[in-house]
Amino acid sequence: MSSTETEFRDLQSAATSHRGDRVFNRIITAAAFTALIVLAGITIFLGFQAVPVLQTQGIDFLTTSIWDPPNYGIWGMLYGSLLLSIIALVIAVPTSLLLSVFMVFLAPNSVAKVLTNLVDLMAAIPSVILGLWAFYVLSPVSEQWQALLNQYLGWIPIFQNSSGNFSGTPFTAGFILAIMMIPIVTSVTREVLGRTPPELINAAEALGCSMWTMLRYVALPYGRGGLVGGVMLGLGRALGETIAVFFVLKIVFDPVNYYNIIESGGGSVATLIVSKFGEASGPYETQLLLAAGFFLFMGTLLVNVVANLIVNRTGRLKS
Amino acid sequence: MSATIIFDDALVADLSQQQPQTPWGRRTSKFRTVVILAILIPAAIVTMLWWFSEIPKPVLMVSIYLPLQIVASVLAAIAVRGTKSAIDAVIIVSAIGATIFSLVVLISVLWSIVTKGMQALSAAFLFQNNEYISPSTPLGYGGLGHAVVGTILIVGISALIAVPLGVMTAIYITEVRGRAVPYVRFFVQAMSGVPSVVAGLFILTTLILTGALNQSAFAAGLAYAILMLPTVARTAEEVLKLVPDELRTGALALGSTRARVVLKVVVPAAKTGMITAAILGVARVVGETAPLLLTALKNDKTVLNPFSDPISALPTYIFDNVAQPYPDAVIRAWGAALTLMVLVAILFTLTRMLSAKRLGK
Repeated sequence: MSSTETEFRDLQSAATSHRGDRVFNRIITAAAFTALIVLAGITIFLGFQAVPVLQTQGIDFLTTSIWDPPNYGIWGMLYGSLLLSIIALVIAVPTSLLLSVFMVFLAPNSVAKVLTNLVDLMAAIPSVILGLWAFYVLSPVSEQWQALLNQYLGWIPIFQNSSGNFSGTPFTAGFILAIMMIPIVTSVTREVLGRTPPELINAAEALGCSMWTMLRYVALPYGRGGLVGGVMLGLGRALGETIAVFFVLKIVFDPVNYYNIIESGGGSVATLIVSKFGEASGPYETQLLLAAGFFLFMGTLLVNVVANLIVNRTGRLKS
Repeated sequence: MSATIIFDDALVADLSQQQPQTPWGRRTSKFRTVVILAILIPAAIVTMLWWFSEIPKPVLMVSIYLPLQIVASVLAAIAVRGTKSAIDAVIIVSAIGATIFSLVVLISVLWSIVTKGMQALSAAFLFQNNEYISPSTPLGYGGLGHAVVGTILIVGISALIAVPLGVMTAIYITEVRGRAVPYVRFFVQAMSGVPSVVAGLFILTTLILTGALNQSAFAAGLAYAILMLPTVARTAEEVLKLVPDELRTGALALGSTRARVVLKVVVPAAKTGMITAAILGVARVVGETAPLLLTALKNDKTVLNPFSDPISALPTYIFDNVAQPYPDAVIRAWGAALTLMVLVAILFTLTRMLSAKRLGK
């Protein structure tokens, strides 16, 4: 062993074996695992509550839709969360994409900068305020829109409404979710589109491509991963949103509203938890809500992990 | 006499500043006339219909104005640039439409908060609490003072917990650089997706139902901390990355230990950024309602003890007053929304000012 090598190793160990450094490293490392501990804690503690519920209710807890002691099933809520998310995605994804196309490719820099700030401000509005706005401002307007949709497009199954009651519909709830998703999705898509290399855009222009051709064959394929990831981050937010939906959606267990999006009544797991918590009559009902929370957590965790993997694979994005 | 271009730093810097060419941005007089016509004609037709027809306004805007404007733009594009740019016209009109739609929503939200919230504002509203007040009590009495105190208490507790932990997580990722960095980063990202209601349920089942804590400001602060930590950690990480490596190597070369480098050099250098991270964390949680409904409940009195009693905060105050059959209660909800929004706007502006200051250095 040469003397330089030993010397170097001595120096290296001297640098890391300083006692203060070791203590410091340990404290920091311990703190860094808070996130893991919390995630594991949520999984274990909520999962622990879900087990007895699944034992007493069986798989019916997930496959039936009823909230009538002693039978409980949250299928309608699980499906409702999905339906609301789909409505929100249908409204929010094209809007966000077009909004970011406007900001990146069409608007002058100064306008784009102002719009970026406004979109960020939109993301900062607390959901309880959006819920308040949805209840008093959006709902009355939305009821008119839905009546018109029913009047002119009622022959399409999703726009059927037999009750004539257009309040508390999945449409309004999905709409407010879309408004919460738009800033989240836009901030990702704007950045993804903005990072299309100018050489590629210039090359497309030089070849005589129209803007649509450039978007279709250069910008969108280039940022595909980031775009999908951004949409899924928005979806994660929509699945977990509670309060805004609470104000505008009428929770109905039976019958499950499968596709009549402008018919009063629908479901959402997150909203179920809040709306039933106040009237929970005993430890068992609280346990049911904790179990519902467990499945909500698993669903959002899955969506978020996939979204982050996709976004990370296409390069890190600031959020 | 050769016209040699000297690629000195100034020219390179100038060239790299240049924006990509945008041929669709050309402006000729024919182009201008056609564009103006394409905007004016649909607008004129729809204005006529707006005043002189019985067609419901939303139908008019969505099923007449929008298609009309798209058709006009497509025709204009074909006239100016040929058939190839027809789809471009559709995209441009829809992109502007999407932008206007988002702005209308944002302005509608802010406008309703300000106009309706102003009706509630008064000294009594801001400083009194809700004791002896029922939803039907007239506006002159009672207020959200107790909820402001509650929000400050709960957010303060969560910041005391989440900011140090978040900053330490960021230090682990950028300074300690242990083997687990990719995993830590992954868990922080996964944690940022925890729904707020689940954070509340977690504290409820681990600490409240087991009897360790009451439903109180401290319990709510813990639930908020779960939501705040990922935001703080991710922002702090971005900021610490901006600290130049020369500062670290310089300090190490002077013989300081790694711990001292981090505590005395790196973190102070990123001080503004750390404050931004904390503010963003606070802004992330300040309007969250669902965790409070599970872990703090409500209280009409002003509570200062974070462990003893249930406590109200601004979001729960709004929640309690929405959908009440009394107009004054609804105005109170809007007043609380205005207060909360002003708080959020202050935090939002602070982060912008701080980051502008950092970039300016």
